[in-house]
Amino acid sequence: MMDETFSNVAMQHILREAEAATDAPAGASSRLKSRIFSQLIELEQQQGPLRVLSAIRAAGEKLCIFETAVAALPSDDLQSRNACAVCHARILGERVERAPIFWPGCPYATFCGH
Amino acid sequence: MAANLQHTPQEVIGQERIFGDDLALAAAILARDRKATARLVELHSDAVHRYVWRRLTPRLEMVDDIVQEVFLAAWGGLKNYSGAAPLHSWLLSIARHKVEDHYRRTLGAHADVLDVDGEIEIPAPSADPVLGLDAKRHAKRAAEILARLPYEYAIALRWRYWEDRSAKEMAEASGRTEKAIERLLARARARFKALWEEPA
Repeated sequence: MMDETFSNVAMQHILREAEAATDAPAGASSRLKSRIFSQLIELEQQQGPLRVLSAIRAAGEKLCIFETAVAALPSDDLQSRNACAVCHARILGERVERAPIFWPGCPYATFCGH
Repeated sequence: MAANLQHTPQEVIGQERIFGDDLALAAAILARDRKATARLVELHSDAVHRYVWRRLTPRLEMVDDIVQEVFLAAWGGLKNYSGAAPLHSWLLSIARHKVEDHYRRTLGAHADVLDVDGEIEIPAPSADPVLGLDAKRHAKRAAEILARLPYEYAIALRWRYWEDRSAKEMAEASGRTEKAIERLLARARARFKALWEEPA
Protein backbone atom coordinates (compact mmCIF):
# COMPACT_ATOMS: atom_id res chain seq x y z
CA MET A 1 0.00 0.00 0.00
CA MET A 2 1.24 3.46 -0.79
CA ASP A 3 2.96 5.19 2.03
CA GLU A 4 0.30 7.29 3.71
CA THR A 5 2.74 10.14 4.28
CA PHE A 6 3.26 10.48 0.55
CA SER A 7 -0.43 9.98 -0.15
CA ASN A 8 -1.66 12.95 1.77
CA VAL A 9 1.11 15.21 2.98
CA ALA A 10 3.20 15.13 -0.20
CA MET A 11 0.12 15.33 -2.42
CA GLN A 12 -1.08 18.34 -0.50
CA HIS A 13 2.35 19.92 -0.84
CA ILE A 14 2.59 19.16 -4.56
CA LEU A 15 -0.90 20.36 -5.40
CA ARG A 16 -0.91 23.43 -3.18
CA GLU A 17 0.69 25.65 -5.79
CA ALA A 18 -0.71 23.86 -8.81
CA GLU A 19 -3.81 26.00 -8.97
CA ALA A 20 -1.91 29.20 -9.68
CA ALA A 21 0.34 27.34 -12.09
CA THR A 22 -2.60 26.07 -14.13
CA ASP A 23 -2.67 27.94 -17.38
CA ALA A 24 -5.92 29.81 -17.87
CA PRO A 25 -7.01 32.42 -20.36
CA ALA A 26 -6.76 36.02 -19.20
CA GLY A 27 -10.49 36.24 -18.80
CA ALA A 28 -13.96 35.55 -20.05
CA SER A 29 -14.72 36.00 -23.72
CA SER A 30 -16.48 39.17 -24.78
CA ARG A 31 -19.37 37.00 -26.05
CA LEU A 32 -19.80 35.43 -22.61
CA LYS A 33 -19.74 38.82 -20.89
CA SER A 34 -22.31 40.10 -23.37
CA ARG A 35 -24.59 37.12 -22.86
CA ILE A 36 -24.38 37.39 -19.08
CA PHE A 37 -25.16 41.11 -19.18
CA SER A 38 -28.12 40.62 -21.53
CA GLN A 39 -29.50 37.89 -19.33
CA LEU A 40 -29.16 39.95 -16.15
CA ILE A 41 -30.89 42.94 -17.75
CA GLU A 42 -33.69 40.65 -18.91
CA LEU A 43 -34.11 39.42 -15.34
CA GLU A 44 -34.08 42.97 -14.01
CA GLN A 45 -36.78 43.92 -16.47
CA GLN A 46 -38.91 41.03 -15.29
CA GLN A 47 -38.73 42.50 -11.78
CA GLY A 48 -39.77 45.98 -12.81
CA PRO A 49 -38.81 48.99 -14.90
CA LEU A 50 -35.10 49.69 -15.30
CA ARG A 51 -33.66 52.83 -13.76
CA VAL A 52 -34.51 55.75 -16.04
CA LEU A 53 -31.67 56.84 -18.29
CA SER A 54 -31.78 60.51 -17.30
CA ALA A 55 -31.23 59.51 -13.65
CA ILE A 56 -28.32 57.30 -14.67
CA ARG A 57 -26.78 60.15 -16.62
CA ALA A 58 -27.36 62.55 -13.73
CA ALA A 59 -25.42 60.13 -11.52
CA GLY A 60 -22.43 60.63 -13.79
CA GLU A 61 -22.67 57.56 -15.99
CA LYS A 62 -21.93 57.75 -19.68
CA LEU A 63 -24.78 56.83 -22.03
CA CYS A 64 -24.34 55.53 -25.56
CA ILE A 65 -25.61 57.58 -28.49
CA PHE A 66 -28.95 55.74 -28.61
CA GLU A 67 -29.50 55.95 -24.87
CA THR A 68 -28.69 59.66 -25.04
CA ALA A 69 -31.45 60.09 -27.59
CA VAL A 70 -33.92 58.12 -25.47
CA ALA A 71 -32.89 60.03 -22.34
CA ALA A 72 -34.06 63.22 -24.02
CA LEU A 73 -37.61 61.89 -24.16
CA PRO A 74 -39.97 63.12 -21.45
CA SER A 75 -41.41 59.64 -20.83
CA ASP A 76 -40.04 57.65 -17.89
CA ASP A 77 -41.72 54.62 -19.36
CA LEU A 78 -39.59 54.82 -22.50
CA GLN A 79 -36.48 55.70 -20.56
CA SER A 80 -36.83 52.68 -18.34
CA ARG A 81 -36.98 50.23 -21.22
CA ASN A 82 -33.97 48.28 -22.36
CA ALA A 83 -32.75 50.09 -25.47
CA CYS A 84 -30.10 47.40 -25.96
CA ALA A 85 -32.82 44.86 -26.74
CA VAL A 86 -33.28 46.38 -30.19
CA CYS A 87 -29.65 47.38 -30.80
CA HIS A 88 -27.33 45.70 -33.28
CA ALA A 89 -24.47 46.10 -30.80
CA ARG A 90 -26.10 43.56 -28.49
CA ILE A 91 -26.56 41.03 -31.28
CA LEU A 92 -22.98 41.49 -32.45
CA GLY A 93 -21.61 41.42 -28.93
CA GLU A 94 -23.34 38.16 -28.08
CA ARG A 95 -22.27 36.42 -31.27
CA VAL A 96 -18.93 37.80 -32.41
CA GLU A 97 -15.79 37.72 -30.28
CA ARG A 98 -14.37 41.22 -29.88
CA ALA A 99 -17.00 42.52 -32.27
CA PRO A 100 -16.27 45.84 -33.99
CA ILE A 101 -18.51 47.94 -31.75
CA PHE A 102 -17.11 51.36 -31.03
CA TRP A 103 -19.99 53.34 -29.49
CA PRO A 104 -18.73 55.21 -26.44
CA GLY A 105 -20.86 54.34 -23.43
CA CYS A 106 -22.04 51.04 -24.93
CA PRO A 107 -21.56 48.13 -22.48
CA TYR A 108 -21.07 45.66 -25.32
CA ALA A 109 -18.24 47.81 -26.71
CA THR A 110 -16.67 47.77 -23.24
CA PHE A 111 -16.88 43.98 -23.09
CA CYS A 112 -15.15 43.87 -26.48
CA GLY A 113 -12.33 45.96 -25.08
CA HIS A 114 -13.07 49.03 -27.19
CA MET B 1 -32.22 45.26 2.07
CA ALA B 2 -28.59 44.80 3.10
CA ALA B 3 -27.13 46.78 0.23
CA ASN B 4 -27.38 50.54 0.48
CA LEU B 5 -25.49 53.63 -0.60
CA GLN B 6 -24.51 54.97 2.80
CA HIS B 7 -20.97 53.64 3.21
CA THR B 8 -17.63 54.86 1.98
CA PRO B 9 -14.94 52.47 0.73
CA GLN B 10 -13.78 50.04 3.41
CA GLU B 11 -15.36 51.96 6.25
CA VAL B 12 -14.93 50.29 9.61
CA ILE B 13 -18.14 50.10 11.60
CA GLY B 14 -17.55 48.63 15.03
CA GLN B 15 -15.29 45.68 14.33
CA GLU B 16 -16.67 45.10 10.86
CA ARG B 17 -15.06 46.42 7.71
CA ILE B 18 -17.59 47.47 5.10
CA PHE B 19 -16.66 47.48 1.44
CA GLY B 20 -18.59 50.60 0.55
CA ASP B 21 -17.88 50.75 -3.18
CA ASP B 22 -19.01 47.17 -3.59
CA LEU B 23 -22.06 47.81 -1.46
CA ALA B 24 -22.94 50.85 -3.57
CA LEU B 25 -22.55 48.81 -6.73
CA ALA B 26 -24.84 46.14 -5.32
CA ALA B 27 -27.42 48.76 -4.35
CA ALA B 28 -27.35 50.26 -7.84
CA ILE B 29 -27.89 46.85 -9.41
CA LEU B 30 -30.80 46.22 -7.06
CA ALA B 31 -32.20 49.54 -8.28
CA ARG B 32 -32.02 48.00 -11.78
CA ASP B 33 -29.33 50.37 -12.98
CA ARG B 34 -28.09 48.85 -16.25
CA LYS B 35 -24.70 50.58 -16.11
CA ALA B 36 -24.03 49.15 -12.66
CA THR B 37 -24.98 45.70 -13.93
CA ALA B 38 -22.53 46.11 -16.82
CA ARG B 39 -19.85 47.16 -14.34
CA LEU B 40 -20.41 44.04 -12.25
CA VAL B 41 -19.87 41.86 -15.31
CA GLU B 42 -16.89 43.85 -16.56
CA LEU B 43 -15.14 43.99 -13.18
CA HIS B 44 -15.62 40.43 -12.05
CA SER B 45 -16.27 38.04 -14.92
CA ASP B 46 -12.58 37.54 -15.75
CA ALA B 47 -11.67 36.39 -12.25
CA VAL B 48 -14.72 34.13 -11.97
CA HIS B 49 -13.96 32.67 -15.38
CA ARG B 50 -10.33 31.93 -14.46
CA TYR B 51 -11.43 30.34 -11.19
CA VAL B 52 -13.91 28.03 -12.90
CA TRP B 53 -11.59 27.31 -15.85
CA ARG B 54 -8.79 26.08 -13.59
CA ARG B 55 -11.13 23.75 -11.75
CA LEU B 56 -12.67 22.20 -14.82
CA THR B 57 -9.71 21.95 -17.18
CA PRO B 58 -9.33 20.02 -19.45
CA ARG B 59 -13.10 19.55 -19.81
CA LEU B 60 -13.95 23.13 -20.66
CA GLU B 61 -17.29 22.83 -22.40
CA MET B 62 -19.09 23.58 -19.13
CA VAL B 63 -17.03 26.60 -18.10
CA ASP B 64 -19.13 29.31 -19.76
CA ASP B 65 -22.37 27.79 -18.47
CA ILE B 66 -21.05 27.66 -14.92
CA VAL B 67 -19.74 31.23 -15.06
CA GLN B 68 -23.16 32.32 -16.28
CA GLU B 69 -24.80 30.38 -13.43
CA VAL B 70 -22.52 32.17 -10.95
CA PHE B 71 -23.69 35.59 -12.10
CA LEU B 72 -27.35 34.59 -12.17
CA ALA B 73 -27.05 33.20 -8.65
CA ALA B 74 -25.19 36.32 -7.52
CA TRP B 75 -27.85 38.56 -8.98
CA GLY B 76 -30.55 36.49 -7.23
CA GLY B 77 -28.72 36.74 -3.90
CA LEU B 78 -27.51 40.31 -4.15
CA LYS B 79 -30.03 41.59 -1.61
CA ASN B 80 -28.20 39.48 0.97
CA TYR B 81 -24.81 40.97 0.19
CA SER B 82 -23.77 42.88 3.29
CA GLY B 83 -20.47 44.40 2.17
CA ALA B 84 -18.62 42.51 4.91
CA ALA B 85 -16.42 40.92 2.25
CA PRO B 86 -15.35 42.30 -1.12
CA LEU B 87 -17.77 41.53 -3.93
CA HIS B 88 -14.91 39.72 -5.62
CA SER B 89 -14.63 37.21 -2.74
CA TRP B 90 -18.40 36.90 -2.49
CA LEU B 91 -18.63 36.01 -6.18
CA LEU B 92 -15.80 33.50 -5.89
CA SER B 93 -17.55 31.81 -2.99
CA ILE B 94 -20.61 31.41 -5.22
CA ALA B 95 -18.32 30.10 -7.96
CA ARG B 96 -16.91 27.59 -5.51
CA HIS B 97 -20.40 26.27 -4.77
CA LYS B 98 -21.18 26.02 -8.46
CA VAL B 99 -17.95 24.15 -9.15
CA GLU B 100 -18.68 21.78 -6.28
CA ASP B 101 -22.15 21.20 -7.72
CA HIS B 102 -20.44 20.18 -10.94
CA TYR B 103 -18.03 17.88 -9.08
CA ARG B 104 -20.93 16.36 -7.19
CA ARG B 105 -22.89 15.70 -10.39
CA THR B 106 -19.85 14.31 -12.17
CA LEU B 107 -18.71 11.97 -9.44
CA GLY B 108 -22.27 11.04 -8.56
CA ALA B 109 -22.93 10.03 -12.15
CA HIS B 110 -19.84 7.86 -12.53
CA ALA B 111 -20.45 4.98 -10.19
CA ASP B 112 -18.40 2.73 -12.48
CA VAL B 113 -15.29 4.77 -11.74
CA LEU B 114 -15.98 4.86 -8.04
CA ASP B 115 -17.31 1.46 -7.18
CA VAL B 116 -14.64 -0.91 -8.46
CA ASP B 117 -13.75 -3.33 -5.69
CA GLY B 118 -10.47 -5.11 -5.27
CA GLU B 119 -6.93 -4.39 -4.33
CA ILE B 120 -5.51 -1.16 -5.59
CA GLU B 121 -2.20 -1.61 -7.33
CA ILE B 122 -0.02 1.26 -6.31
CA PRO B 123 3.69 1.51 -7.02
CA ALA B 124 5.99 1.54 -4.02
CA PRO B 125 7.03 5.00 -2.94
CA SER B 126 10.34 6.12 -4.32
CA ALA B 127 12.39 9.13 -3.42
CA ASP B 128 10.56 12.21 -2.24
CA PRO B 129 9.14 13.59 -5.49
CA VAL B 130 9.31 17.13 -4.26
CA LEU B 131 13.05 17.18 -3.65
CA GLY B 132 15.17 18.37 -6.53
CA LEU B 133 12.53 20.54 -8.14
CA ASP B 134 12.01 24.15 -7.37
CA ALA B 135 8.54 25.12 -6.23
CA LYS B 136 7.52 26.85 -9.43
CA ARG B 137 8.56 23.97 -11.65
CA HIS B 138 6.84 21.34 -9.60
CA ALA B 139 3.67 23.43 -9.37
CA LYS B 140 3.65 23.71 -13.14
CA ARG B 141 4.28 20.01 -13.53
CA ALA B 142 1.50 19.17 -11.06
CA ALA B 143 -0.90 21.36 -13.02
CA GLU B 144 0.04 19.61 -16.26
CA ILE B 145 -0.43 16.18 -14.71
CA LEU B 146 -3.84 17.15 -13.33
CA ALA B 147 -4.85 18.14 -16.85
CA ARG B 148 -3.71 14.73 -18.17
CA LEU B 149 -5.48 12.61 -15.57
CA PRO B 150 -8.88 11.07 -16.26
CA TYR B 151 -11.33 13.83 -15.47
CA GLU B 152 -12.92 12.09 -12.49
CA TYR B 153 -9.49 11.63 -10.92
CA ALA B 154 -8.55 15.26 -11.50
CA ILE B 155 -11.68 16.65 -9.96
CA ALA B 156 -11.46 14.25 -7.03
CA LEU B 157 -7.96 15.56 -6.28
CA ARG B 158 -8.97 19.18 -6.76
CA TRP B 159 -12.03 18.75 -4.59
CA ARG B 160 -9.98 17.07 -1.89
CA TYR B 161 -6.88 19.26 -1.95
CA TRP B 162 -7.88 22.61 -3.45
CA GLU B 163 -11.26 22.88 -1.80
CA ASP B 164 -10.01 21.09 1.29
CA ARG B 165 -12.93 18.71 1.52
CA SER B 166 -12.65 15.42 3.38
CA ALA B 167 -13.52 12.11 1.74
CA LYS B 168 -16.55 11.99 4.02
CA GLU B 169 -17.79 15.38 2.84
CA MET B 170 -17.20 14.43 -0.78
CA ALA B 171 -19.08 11.18 -0.26
CA GLU B 172 -22.05 12.92 1.32
CA ALA B 173 -22.18 15.51 -1.44
CA SER B 174 -21.90 13.07 -4.33
CA GLY B 175 -24.13 10.37 -2.89
CA ARG B 176 -21.34 7.78 -2.90
CA THR B 177 -19.95 5.83 0.02
CA GLU B 178 -16.95 7.18 1.87
CA LYS B 179 -15.09 3.99 1.00
CA ALA B 180 -15.77 4.51 -2.69
CA ILE B 181 -14.42 8.05 -2.50
CA GLU B 182 -11.33 6.88 -0.62
CA ARG B 183 -10.73 4.26 -3.31
CA LEU B 184 -11.17 6.88 -6.00
CA LEU B 185 -8.71 9.19 -4.27
CA ALA B 186 -6.22 6.37 -3.83
CA ARG B 187 -6.41 5.53 -7.54
CA ALA B 188 -6.16 9.18 -8.48
CA ARG B 189 -3.09 9.65 -6.27
CA ALA B 190 -1.52 6.50 -7.69
CA ARG B 191 -2.07 7.64 -11.27
CA PHE B 192 -0.80 11.09 -10.38
CA LYS B 193 2.31 9.61 -8.79
CA ALA B 194 2.98 7.35 -11.77
CA LEU B 195 2.82 10.32 -14.12
CA TRP B 196 4.91 12.39 -11.74
CA GLU B 197 7.65 9.77 -11.79
CA GLU B 198 7.74 9.63 -15.57
CA PRO B 199 10.73 11.48 -17.01
CA ALA B 200 9.70 15.05 -17.72
